[in-house]
Amino acid sequence: MSEQMEKNAVQKSAVQTHKMFMRFNLGQRWEHMLLLISFTVLLLTGLPQKYRAATWSQQILSTPERVELIQTIHHIFAVVLILEVIYHLGKAIILMARRRLPGDIFVSWQDIRDAGQMVAYLLFLRKEKPIFGKYSFEEKVTYWFIFIGIGIMLVSGIILWFPEVVTRVLSGGVIPAAKLAHSTEAVVAGIFIVLWHFYHVHLQRLNLSIFNGSISEDDMKTYHALEYEQLMAGQAGKSGEEQP
Amino acid sequence: MVRRKLGLHFPLWIAAACLSVGICLLIVMQARADVPRQETEAYCLSCHSNPDLQMTLPSGEILPLYVSPDKLKESIHSPLGIECQACHTEIKTYPHPENTYETRRDLSRAYYESCKKCHSSIYEKAQDSIHAQVAAEHPESPVCTDCHGSHYVGKPDEPRTLISSTCSTCHDSIYQDYKHSIHGSALIDEDNPDVPVCTDCHGVHNIQDPRTDQFHIDTPEMCANCHADSELMSKYGLPSDVYNLYELSWHGVDVSVYKARWPTIWHDSAVCTDCHGTHNILPSDNPESMVNPDNLLATCQRCHPGVSSNWTDAWTGHNEISIERTPWLYYIDVFYASFTPVVLWVAGIYVFLQILRATIERVRRSLR
Repeated sequence: MSEQMEKNAVQKSAVQTHKMFMRFNLGQRWEHMLLLISFTVLLLTGLPQKYRAATWSQQILSTPERVELIQTIHHIFAVVLILEVIYHLGKAIILMARRRLPGDIFVSWQDIRDAGQMVAYLLFLRKEKPIFGKYSFEEKVTYWFIFIGIGIMLVSGIILWFPEVVTRVLSGGVIPAAKLAHSTEAVVAGIFIVLWHFYHVHLQRLNLSIFNGSISEDDMKTYHALEYEQLMAGQAGKSGEEQP
Repeated sequence: MVRRKLGLHFPLWIAAACLSVGICLLIVMQARADVPRQETEAYCLSCHSNPDLQMTLPSGEILPLYVSPDKLKESIHSPLGIECQACHTEIKTYPHPENTYETRRDLSRAYYESCKKCHSSIYEKAQDSIHAQVAAEHPESPVCTDCHGSHYVGKPDEPRTLISSTCSTCHDSIYQDYKHSIHGSALIDEDNPDVPVCTDCHGVHNIQDPRTDQFHIDTPEMCANCHADSELMSKYGLPSDVYNLYELSWHGVDVSVYKARWPTIWHDSAVCTDCHGTHNILPSDNPESMVNPDNLLATCQRCHPGVSSNWTDAWTGHNEISIERTPWLYYIDVFYASFTPVVLWVAGIYVFLQILRATIERVRRSLR
């Protein structure tokens, strides 16, 4: 795909040139932004509701009107998240129909092997880290964890939002089950993101590619060596014909 | 000269002393007239033991003036030497002062003030009650003597059924509900000492309006007084964790927040009585019980109108999670009980190893 191909962002400095590679297109960046905002707001408005018996929650939810307000905010951002999910899946379906869905994010046996090699590296059983393609297995774990987590949150959240309607079809037992799933999954996902995702994008290195879209050649070589090799090989073969 | 003078005045001194002693005695006797004396009862009964003695009040009502000497002897006060004048303070002898009461109720409402003389703290408590609060508009609302009696005051809870039957004098329809309930039938038919009578829930003298937000929100704790008492409950084969499990439920959490923060704001979240009934509480296997499986949907629909029959399964409030009763909840619970620690530990250890390896790598590079 041309938009995911390399992008020559040559700095105008005469001294040094940095080759930048396109990692996320504008749509994907917007999606991440929507996800980030809705996830944060939903977590912040959900936690006081989960811990309503706690004093800190009661200080936030100090009047019944505040409870109502925080629930309204929660619902509004739930709708934002639902729209984002519809967009994300809709786009995937359209791309799939056109046979243009990039398969990079799907899990393969190679990811399992990568994970094994990575653990071996971390335990000093291997000298070198495994090399990754466009998405490392760590990034795939992040994506699919959030993907499944949002699925659980949406289903359980809708059950909790419209319990009367849902129990016309399903057993009443789904309501307490949804409540348990919704409030537990939220906390698990929250902790997981802070632990896993924040480490990989903030601590390991500051990776802003999801905000500015591009990644430097150095980072390409270090973290996505396989993708870099493939791109270079492809470019050599095609001799840059596709560039406008 | 001096001695002679004194001798001359000696009889005068004696007379003065006698006079002052006499005045003192008079004052003491005057004061003692306010304190009941043993003689008053017999003196009063010389007329009032006549069963036909009565008078007509200005309202036209007949006021019986008969006091049964036998019943009086069995009352609390008379054997203790607290006799007629202790309460009938303005009547000192015969003829009596002119009657100033228009109706019998006026007379009752005036005379019950006498109780205050000895029972002041209980009298004050009663002044805070709903009965006292509505007295201005409803003179028929009870005063001390309406529940305890006037001349024949006895122990109000002997037998224990007396309490409920006393309340039933005015609150008869509620008494009828109560009589058929598990609590009432055990009291009346079995003389059970554990079941609550009216006053156990409503209080004794400072009875409050049970329709307030505060009363509603305090209800679970009130029921818990007995139903969370494992010793008492085991006597009847009842679980004693119903209150603790309720507190974890959707309704219970809501109620506890309102209780802690906004006790004076009405909240619809169900408390014990909303589902189990108030005076008509029956065990769930009784077909008339509000929580009988056949009636449960109708009970839920009182607050959740129009919900389908599946709805009742959503209630888990009084049960631990179990595979038979709450399979959905059980599987979700099992899933998260294993998934949560596994995911978080694996992620935590992995990130920790990465930090460790990266740090060591960096140190190595700097040493090279």
